[in-house]
Amino acid sequence: MNSREMILARLRSNRPDPDVYLLPDIAILGDQDRSRARFETSLAGMGGAVLERQGEETLAAAVARRFPDAKIICSAVPDYEGTLHIEDVTSPQQAAETDVMVVRAPFGIAETGSVFLSEAQLNHLNSAAHLAQHLVVILSEQNITANMHTAYTERQEFHTAHYGVLMSGPSATADIQGVLIRGAQGVRSLSVWWE
Amino acid sequence: MKVKPVNHAKAAEVFLQDEPHLKFHDERLWDMRQKRDQQMHILPEWQELRARASEIKEHTLAHLPEYLEQFEANAKKNGIHVHWAADAGEHNRIAGEILEKHRAKSLIKSKSMVTEECDMRGYLEPRGITVTETDLGERIQQLDNQMPSHVVVPAVHKLIPDVAKVFAENYQTDPNERDPHALAEAQREAARPVILSADAGMTGGNFLVAETGTFVVCTNEGNADLSSTVTGLHIATLGIERIIPRMADLGVFVRLLSRSALGSPITQYTTHFRGPQKGGEMHVILVDNGRSQRLGMDDFWTSLKCIRCGACMNTCPVYRRSGGLSYGAVYSGPIGSILDPTFNERKYSTLPFASTMNGSCTNVCPVKINIHEQLYKWRRVLAEHHEIPFVKRELMRMAGRIMGKPVLYRAAINSTNAALGNLPRVALYNWMNPWGKNRELPPAAKQSFHSWYKENRLKKEKA
Ligand code: SF4
Repeated sequence: MNSREMILARLRSNRPDPDVYLLPDIAILGDQDRSRARFETSLAGMGGAVLERQGEETLAAAVARRFPDAKIICSAVPDYEGTLHIEDVTSPQQAAETDVMVVRAPFGIAETGSVFLSEAQLNHLNSAAHLAQHLVVILSEQNITANMHTAYTERQEFHTAHYGVLMSGPSATADIQGVLIRGAQGVRSLSVWWE
Repeated sequence: MKVKPVNHAKAAEVFLQDEPHLKFHDERLWDMRQKRDQQMHILPEWQELRARASEIKEHTLAHLPEYLEQFEANAKKNGIHVHWAADAGEHNRIAGEILEKHRAKSLIKSKSMVTEECDMRGYLEPRGITVTETDLGERIQQLDNQMPSHVVVPAVHKLIPDVAKVFAENYQTDPNERDPHALAEAQREAARPVILSADAGMTGGNFLVAETGTFVVCTNEGNADLSSTVTGLHIATLGIERIIPRMADLGVFVRLLSRSALGSPITQYTTHFRGPQKGGEMHVILVDNGRSQRLGMDDFWTSLKCIRCGACMNTCPVYRRSGGLSYGAVYSGPIGSILDPTFNERKYSTLPFASTMNGSCTNVCPVKINIHEQLYKWRRVLAEHHEIPFVKRELMRMAGRIMGKPVLYRAAINSTNAALGNLPRVALYNWMNPWGKNRELPPAAKQSFHSWYKENRLKKEKA
């Protein structure tokens, strides 16, 4: 008997009575507010920021204003140029040189200020979202879901993407004497641009 | 040769004498507990979430073979290689073979308690594979040659000067560096080139989803996403109990996990892996290593519900004031004290005594494991399997520590609350709980242990 069969056999003989433990219905609990205001409060709580539009400025102008020293700005969206496009990035080593990455998220979650990214948004170079120094995420108010329950029941991406990450603010750590540090090993900052 | 039981009391004594470390450790963990409480108070549905989480886990454990097969079928359909490891040795062999096939010499990995359980680094490194922990706390522990002292914050027992010393020795940074930002930056700078030139990546995982063949990794630093996406070869190791039935069930668990652990509404990264990246390869190792045996233990199988949030550790006055390393085991704190004896009953026979039985662990557990009752039941089991003098001695050590340390004594009193309702008076006041002897605890049912035990067991069997 191989290990797989041995483990399964042991589980079958050792488990508690399966008829006793029923599966509860799917839970949709909690606050159903899916407003931009709630999203922004949650995002701020996780250390993320909103890249505010000043006057009539374009995304390009806002990125230039927010990241004046950025040399390599990698765009993963068709409507923004940056200094290079993600299709021209061929390796993680090249992606690691990116100062700012601009990407569009298919949805966000109001409860947690999370944005979702998958290979569909990253041209299959998933590491690019983590190797860049800073991330700017374009999001539409229409695409906010209320909380984790509604996200998992409404969004098909969880059933289709091979790689799907919910990013909630930038990378962070509190591993050194409990001091919270935003910008650990992944992106140092995460900003949301409303469209 | 018989293994010697871990001398928790003695190791804790050493920790207790180091005032600055002790003070920070105690306060930091209590702060995490308080942040958790704040999150709990924000959500009116908190208790319902806990009840759901517990029900889903109990259901899944009772249907474990079916759900594991469903996971395997779906994962394979999506192009994931699925492996089954009966024990630690097999896990390490499987990981080693995958790496060898790819001629991988450098492995970057994110935190995984299962690989600690299997001592995987100890297996791979003599075979010429360099394993680099990329989680900051775990890396500090790796460089310092210590086990993680906490399941969520592995280096929580260290202060800034300790980290500065470890980094100075390994990263050539200033040994007098006292800015934690600079130290974290040193880790980022040291890790990046290793990550970018590694041959393979490895992660643990928090959940397996049967319905979709997905596994989910919840982290904060970004290192797990780097470890899984940069090299093209991703190996993930998960215990078989990590499984849940449906994608939608994740809502319940993700909402509870980081709130219970750190008091944040979610981890910075919640990553869902359903298949390999384009041109890449993905492996999942499903690890038993004693879990299928534990499922057969009437009084202890529900410990498999654990989602490793660490809340029971943060709230435990004994853990806070003895440090994770004093448990001498991969898993420490209250959850460790009920898991470890299933790995080695003799070696970890002292750990179920490292508790005041205040029930605080049970109160905070997001999946409603009756931790303090299991601690008590382990004491009974150990009393049956060992000499009575051994049990008495451990109890005396425990009592000595509690009563001899005013601060710990106060901490124990303060956190004595609810939860005790489930334990019969006799369990609290008999000789197996020296703590109860010296303190009038909230009233509990007047019932003998045996009748209580029988009733609860029968209830469970009938339920
Ligand atoms: S036993 Fe409960 S509280 Fe403790 S780590 Fe596990 S899930 Fe968290």
